Amino acid sequence: MFFHIVLERNMQLHPRHFGRDLREKLVSKLMKDVEGTCSGRHGFIVAITGIESVGKGLIRDGTGFVTFPVKYQCVVFRPFKGEILEAVVTMVNKMGFFAEAGPVQIFVSNHLIPDDMEFQSGDVPNYTTSDGSVKIQKESEVRLKIIGTRVDATEIFCIGTIKDDFLGVISDPGTNA
Amino acid sequence: MSIESFNRLVKLAARAFYDDITTKGDNQPKSGRSDNRGIAVVILDALTRRQWVREEDLAKDLKLHTKQLRRTLRFFEEEKLITRDHRKEGAKGAKVYNSAVAATVDGLQNGKEGDDKIKMHTHSYCCLDYAQIYDVVRYRLHRMKKKLRDELDNKNTVQEYICPNCAKRYTALDALRLVSTEDEYFHCESCNGELVAESDKLASQGSTDGDDNDRRRRREKLEDMLHRVEAQLKPLMDQLARVKDLPAPEFGSLQAWEVRANAVARGANGDNANDSKSGQGLGFGGTPMPFVGETKVEVAFSGLEEKGDIKSEVSVTPMKVLPPWMIKEGMNLTKEQRGEVKQESNMEGPSAAAGSSDDKKSIGFEDVKNIQDEYIKAYYEALFKRQKEQEEATKMLPETSTTDGVYNTFTERQVGMKSKREEEDEGEDVEWEEAPPAGNTTTGNLKVDLNVQADASEDDNDEEDDIDWEEG
Repeated sequence: MFFHIVLERNMQLHPRHFGRDLREKLVSKLMKDVEGTCSGRHGFIVAITGIESVGKGLIRDGTGFVTFPVKYQCVVFRPFKGEILEAVVTMVNKMGFFAEAGPVQIFVSNHLIPDDMEFQSGDVPNYTTSDGSVKIQKESEVRLKIIGTRVDATEIFCIGTIKDDFLGVISDPGTNA
Repeated sequence: MSIESFNRLVKLAARAFYDDITTKGDNQPKSGRSDNRGIAVVILDALTRRQWVREEDLAKDLKLHTKQLRRTLRFFEEEKLITRDHRKEGAKGAKVYNSAVAATVDGLQNGKEGDDKIKMHTHSYCCLDYAQIYDVVRYRLHRMKKKLRDELDNKNTVQEYICPNCAKRYTALDALRLVSTEDEYFHCESCNGELVAESDKLASQGSTDGDDNDRRRRREKLEDMLHRVEAQLKPLMDQLARVKDLPAPEFGSLQAWEVRANAVARGANGDNANDSKSGQGLGFGGTPMPFVGETKVEVAFSGLEEKGDIKSEVSVTPMKVLPPWMIKEGMNLTKEQRGEVKQESNMEGPSAAAGSSDDKKSIGFEDVKNIQDEYIKAYYEALFKRQKEQEEATKMLPETSTTDGVYNTFTERQVGMKSKREEEDEGEDVEWEEAPPAGNTTTGNLKVDLNVQADASEDDNDEEDDIDWEEG
């Protein structure tokens, strides 16, 4: 799920950036630092949408670096148990397959794949129904449900299922390209 | 009136879930003597027959060691079945409690006066929390079924993997770390062995290859288990359904309960021997109240007003399920209201001591009361007027009309009289019904409830037999 929230961060800025465009430098550094990172608490920081406030800078003894407390608005993405996501398959193996929904990695184990889909090894490993009408392979897009998350301080990993109504392949790699 | 059903629920739940609870740690060997399974059921049963009870007394009644009882009670507290209260108290506090007990449980009045020498001790009290028990049991059943169902269609289960070499276990959540570059299997982090998926715990059998046969067998086993759960817990679920719309008996906190129980006792039994003492204990103002017994008589006197009271009571109850003692206090208030100065101090006592919520309630009550009082007044006046007219008519008629006419009017008047007497009776009826339920009934529409209860209790007995059969 996406959230638009306000976060705060202490930015250290090198003295060489002090000048007319200190503020721009600060913002661009902030973007470079936080976008794409993940915190267990808030999820993945997708994008910074604005700066709320920049506090008073504090000069560090010895180095000349200045620390600014910056409050910024950002879009975060946090997967939840029970959430339905669309994801792209990245790897298929005997144990199941891995998929990505944006920054989140999701693993679907083979017992959470419908029983009528069989693993086919070979050049392009895939899961296929007996009549061959549905095929899950690398680059397939699937709709899945998250049934478990492991949230660490700096990473989030999910396991999902496609063994439910309306879940499964939504487009084949061929048609999508 | 719902207490019977709830007690039955507690008993069923106790037998279903707490049958084999033992308070001993698992490390101790279970010899025949120390095996105390089933005690939990006994304690819960005992609690259904009580309201708030001091744990020492309960231990004495059950011939249990207090330590053992405490351990079980603590377990129940964690299970959210009971509420407990601990407080430091001397002889006075004990007495307040004792008189409250005496008010609710008639048989327990004996020999409590000997406790006078108690110094300040911490006493623990416990009481069933019926509303919460209902929720707990429902939640428990829900979780049991959900777990089985999920297992049945492999939903929402996190696959586990095990390393055959070093027996290290992983879950699907570790998958990212386990995937290897050279082949398509998961590999153990420590010994690089190939991991195998573990079949489900609930129905794990020898082979782990997970072929079709195995899967089918597991499915059958789970289905069987689900069916057995449904069948064996049916009485409990039926009871849950029965209890669903009944208001849960609510005893409130220990303090409030004591105050109310004492107040009720005073209202019902007239002057209780303990009353004046308990009054001092809680700062009631220490007024002895010898007049309360009389109230009944005086109230029955004014049949019409009484009728109004009942109406107001009925109209209040649907808004919120009032604990019976609240209503009782309200009733006292309204009955003793205007014109009876000697009761004034009496009614202030309980309502002031029973806390702010009671006060609010009685205010809301008063509003309804006022409207009804006006209606009653008007009705009274009309009735009175009519009677006067009739009297005049009877006086006049003998002179002017035939005997037939006299007869007619006379009977008419009789009817009026009669109806009034009926109302008086009704008032008395209500008094009678009010008096006995010492604390744990909801008063709403008393008569109807009584009937229902009779039926229900019959049912209960029958089913109790059923269950005994199943267990035996």
